[in-house]
This record gives sequence, structure tokens and C-alpha cells, in this order.
Amino acid sequence: MLGFSTRTVSNVLFWVTRKKWLILAFLLSLSLFYFPSPDGLSYAGHRTLIIVLVTLILIISESIPFPAVAILILIMQVILGIASADEVASSFMSDAVFFIMGSLMLAVAIVSQGLDKRLALIVINLTGNKTWRIASGFLFISAILSSFIGEHTVGAMMLPVALALIRNTGLSAKKTTNLSTLLLFSIAYGCSIGSIGTPSGGGRNVIMIGYLTEFGMGTISYLDWMKYTYPLLLIEIPFASLILWYTFTPTQKIMDSSVRKLKVKVAKNGKLTSDQILAIIILFTTFLGWVFLSPFIGLGIVALSGVFLYLSFGLIDWQQINKNTNWAVILLFGAAISLGIQMKETGAALWVADQTLNYLQIVFKDIVIVRWFTSVVITGLLTNLLSNAATVAVLGPIVLDMGGNPITIGIMTSIASAFSYLTVVASPTCMIIHSTGLINSSDYLKAGWKIFVISIILLLLVSKFYWPMIS
Amino acid sequence: MKILIAISSKEYSGPTLDVGMNIARALNASTTILDVGEKINELSIKDINITNELMDTWNIDRPGVDVLEWAYHYLVKNSFIDNDSEEEVFKNKIVTENASNRTEVYLKGANIEKLSLILRNGDIVTELRDEVKAYEYGLTIIGGSSKRSLAHDFIQYIESSILIVNSFNLDKNYRILLAVDDSPGTANAVKYGVRVAQAFKIKVDLINISKDGHLREGYNNAIKKARKMLRRCSIDTEVLLKIGDPVDNIINTAGDDHIIIMGASTQSPLAKFFVGSKPLGVVEKSTCPVLIVK
Repeated sequence: MLGFSTRTVSNVLFWVTRKKWLILAFLLSLSLFYFPSPDGLSYAGHRTLIIVLVTLILIISESIPFPAVAILILIMQVILGIASADEVASSFMSDAVFFIMGSLMLAVAIVSQGLDKRLALIVINLTGNKTWRIASGFLFISAILSSFIGEHTVGAMMLPVALALIRNTGLSAKKTTNLSTLLLFSIAYGCSIGSIGTPSGGGRNVIMIGYLTEFGMGTISYLDWMKYTYPLLLIEIPFASLILWYTFTPTQKIMDSSVRKLKVKVAKNGKLTSDQILAIIILFTTFLGWVFLSPFIGLGIVALSGVFLYLSFGLIDWQQINKNTNWAVILLFGAAISLGIQMKETGAALWVADQTLNYLQIVFKDIVIVRWFTSVVITGLLTNLLSNAATVAVLGPIVLDMGGNPITIGIMTSIASAFSYLTVVASPTCMIIHSTGLINSSDYLKAGWKIFVISIILLLLVSKFYWPMIS
Repeated sequence: MKILIAISSKEYSGPTLDVGMNIARALNASTTILDVGEKINELSIKDINITNELMDTWNIDRPGVDVLEWAYHYLVKNSFIDNDSEEEVFKNKIVTENASNRTEVYLKGANIEKLSLILRNGDIVTELRDEVKAYEYGLTIIGGSSKRSLAHDFIQYIESSILIVNSFNLDKNYRILLAVDDSPGTANAVKYGVRVAQAFKIKVDLINISKDGHLREGYNNAIKKARKMLRRCSIDTEVLLKIGDPVDNIINTAGDDHIIIMGASTQSPLAKFFVGSKPLGVVEKSTCPVLIVK
């Protein structure tokens, strides 16, 4: 064929069939490029939205590696003439990206200290041996811990505890289906619920704070954030516990021997080592830094200081951090935030915000409801398709341009992006529990939609009645 | 010769292992059993690595190890490998990542020098293609799938011969249905036919199909050669001459008690992609194992 060998044709065909979304994104962006800009949208804004569309297609389809998507975002910004190379470079790195980098590295450092066995003992001592208490204890502790140190750290540390308990029952996988589903979802949903609690609970909270500062729309301190979100977090816990229990009621109501075996195993580890004590002190210091120093030096710098301490006290070696830090995430969110800033500066965000307001006002009439719908329902749904942090990075500039009080709209959007209950890709912990092979993709919807609806209602109530009292 | 057996779950992989290990034993081939798990989202891949490393410290198996463990016990139970202390073996396993996205499970003390157990995660076609390319397998054995596109992708993109096990029952008396024509792939297909016939100690039906009842010179020669080779290896052979559509004839003759062996299509990849090919048609419609020789 045209002088190409069969193997070459076959290789090309393979590439084309695997990369069809990339090709589609390319063709779509090319045709949109020659499409005249709609009224009210600048050339630069028009081109920025093309990049946003390409990014969304490539992230959802996962047809090329995420670092490649990140690099493409940067290249396209320069080539399409939206910003100069230096402008793109400076918008690529920000305190929010520092924070994402620092918190991923902190997670690696904390997880490798062997504190998970210690944590297991604390959980078990708190909950006793009744299954419902263990499940709600898992959810509660996951939520509280992840509100401070991030969901991926907590998910990684809690999962082995749950799996050890399930294995200790000595029953086959078929007999413990509901039990494992219940315990694993308690961890995953607990982590999601918890991640709204403080700015350091999730990279997306920091991305939102970053946007607010960058756009000059206001600042919010660590403790102020907690005032807004922590009550909601605490109210959500019992609801989620009940829903999970009644959706996946296990046949094993008591896990006596499992718990005993776990205690025996953990007891073998002896007392806290001096390294572990030091690790806890550094973690606590970092937390204090977030609370008291972050208004002056930024959340990202505090997180990096924690990493600095772990490295310089020799509690973790660089090789391990290098191996287990997800550089793809750092690059992708750096690029996504840089794109978000261009959306704001080129007026693309405002244009999309106006269009959304116009169309949704036909349905809802009241602009307050429209804003609420976009920042809560659309964010909540997109989060389940796109993963939570990417949703905030892309939607953030748009919802902030919809008018109203940017601080409350921003917090509301961040909270809704934690409603990642419906799919495997929604959040890192959802993916972690799915990777065990014990949870089917369809299980996510079973309890997920109920918690999703309840969370939206609770957020509505909290924002309507409680937030006006504190702002 | 290296053989790759891809399995996916405990429920459906028994027949694939039965066929695969019988052939591997006959060819004295080193065998790799591969479990391809679901694709892991890139945003979470490191979180899952960290979790897996923690699970190792708790002696909890990584996802996928249980499937390989099941496969190992299945092989022992069906006497494909000998092991006296099978219970002990999995307590002494070592899990190592020997390439990115490729984890090997070593069993200390197990008597399996010619068997590797591998875990991968991702899109099944891409993972199999990468594995075959990197480790140069001669034959890939995989269970059937109801998805048409998947059958096409396996045949088109995996660069080894491929055996698709739609179903297989060890207790049934199978024969081999060897499709012969004048294409260059036929000679290789006959070689495989001999080996498989020897592995299972079964008879061979040579099938030759003419669209209009007229047999070309090349066809006659191919049949003669094949018969000669089979006779030399003292394998019982019957020759069937059919008229009509090749795919339909092969399927009808095969029923559910044959192992079909045929050469890969020599059409261009684009034609295969848009129109399909004889081997693809056979794989889609047949209910018995189909071996496509490349």
C-alpha cells in the first residue's frame, strides 16, 4: 500500500484507533478557530475557550498522558497568541501549585512513617467491635483527618486497616461483599466529606483561594474557611453513615475476632519510635503553620516547609518522594490554573458566565438560584466526570464572574466539588478503593446518589441560614 | 518459543488455561500468565502505588494477585505443574515492578521455572500488544469476548499468533479443523496444526473451500503438502472439500467439537479494519477455540 509495509499501516491504524479523541479534539479546535467569534467575546477569549474544550476532551478521554495535556495547554496559549511565553510561565507557577506539590510530597512522607498501624489501633479503640460503629468510626476519622492532611494521604492509610479487618473475618470474598463495600465506601466518602473542612483538605480549595486572591476578589484565612465549612462537614457525617449502613447492611453485625486479631498484629509493632514522634511533631507544626502563618506566607510555602523538615531530618529520602509524587498532577493543575487565569483576563470566563446566566434565567427566573445551581449542581456533576480539582480549576473563574459575593460562591463551588460520590474517577480515594477489585463501578451510584442529593440540600440550608450569621 | 496466556477473572479463565497449558506442555514452551486489570486514572496512579506499598507491609495482597494465585492453584489442581507444598508457596511471594506498569509475582520455592506470573493495568489491547512486543511471544492465548471490535483488535494489532478460546471442555473429544488454501500463511498453520494435534493427541480434519467448485492448482498443492507433513508425523487425517462461503463452511463443519486453525489474512490492515477478514469472521461466529497463525 503506497509503498508502506503492512506493519507500518497496522501501527498507524493502531495509533489512530487509540487516539481518536486526540484527533477529534484537534479537528474540532481547528474548525472552531475559523468560526467567527460570537458577540461579546474577544478573539483572545474565543481562542482560550478552544483550549478549554480541548483540555476537557483530553482529560475525560485520557487518550494522551496528562503531562502531555498540561504541556499542550501551555504551548497552545503561546501559539494562539493569548499570552507571551513569560506570561504563561509566571501564571503556571503559583502558591496553589506549590501547595499541590507540597501536599503530595507530604502525603508520601507521612504515609511512609508506619503510622498507619498506630492509626488502626486508635480507630479500633474508639469504635469497639460492632460493625456499625466501626463503619461510622471509619467515616468519621477519615473525614476529620482528611480535612487537615488531604484525602489521598488518609485514604492510603485507612485502606489497609479496612482490608485487614475484612481478611481477619476469615470468610470468602462473596460472603463479605456488603461488609467490604460498606467499610471501603466509609473511607472514600469520609475522605470526600472531610476534604471541604479546611483549605489544606484539598488542592481545589487552595486553587479557589488562589483565584480569589489573583482576581482581587478577596482573601479568606484558614480559620475563616473552617467557620464556613466545618459545621457542614460535621452534619454530613451522620447522614452519610446512615445511608451507607442501610444501603450496604452487612450480615456480620459484630467483628469481634477480626478486631482482636488486628490488635494482636498491631501490638507487635511496640511503642512509637523517635522518628515517628518527630514525624508527628512536624505534621502538627505544619498544621499550625497553615492556621497562623498562611495569611502571610501562603499555604503552599507552609506545605513545602513541612516537606523541607521531613527531608532535612532524614525522615524520608528524596528518591522515595520522587518516585511516589504524582508529577503529572502538579503539571496538569499548574497548566489548568494558568488557563483559568487566561479565561479571566481574556474575558472568556465572563462571557461563559453571562451566557449561562442568560440561558438558565429562562428556566429559573431568579438570578440567585441560577448562581446557586451553577456553582453547586453543575460543579457537583462535573466533579464526578472530570475529578474534583480539575473541575474547580476550570469552573472557578466562570462562577466567580457570575456576580454575587465571590467568597461565598467560591467556597460553595469548592464544597460542591467534594460531592464526588458517583463515579470511580471522581476523587483519588474513590479510585483507591476501586483498585482493590472489591468494588464495582455500579456500586458508586447505589449509595452515592442519595448522599449527593442530601449533601446538596444540606449545603443549601447551611448557606442560606448559617452563613449569613457569620459573614 | 514463549507463550502468553491472558486471563481476566476466576470465573471465565479456566478453559483458557486448559488449552494454553496443554499447548505449552507439548511445545515445552516457557509460559507467562498475565492478568490485565482495569485502567487506573492517571490522577490517582501514585496514590494507588503508595497504598499498595503500605498494603505490602500489612501482608495484604495487591489487587490482581488473587487472580494469579487462583490461576496457580488451578494449574496445580489440574496437574499442569507439580507442587507438593502449594499452600506454602503464596506465603513466600515477592512482588516486584520490573517495568513501568508491569508487576511480576515471584513464588519462592515453587517448582515453576518455566512459568511467570505478571500483572498489568490498562486497556487490554494496548497492554497485550506492549507485552508481546517487549517480550517476543510466539503465541498469545486469550478467552473469547462478545465484543466484535475486541476480536478485531486482538487479531489485527497483536504481533504473535493468537488463539482465542471461546469455550473449551477438557472432557470433550475435539478434532482439529485445519483450513488450507494457497496463501503463504498456510504452511505455518499446518506446522501449528501438527504441534497442537500432538499436544492433545487428536485427529486432524483438513478443510479446503472453493467458492465455485473449481480447485486451483495452488490449492491442490497446499493440500498435498499438508497431508504429507501430517502423515510423516503419523497423525490421522481426513480431507474435506467444500463449496461456498469459506467462513460459513468452516463454522458449520467445526460445530463445537473442533479446534480451528488457520493462517492470518494477508489483506491490508485497512481492508481488515473496514471490511473484516476470514479469520475475523470465524472468530466472531465460532463457539470453539480458534488459532490464527501469523
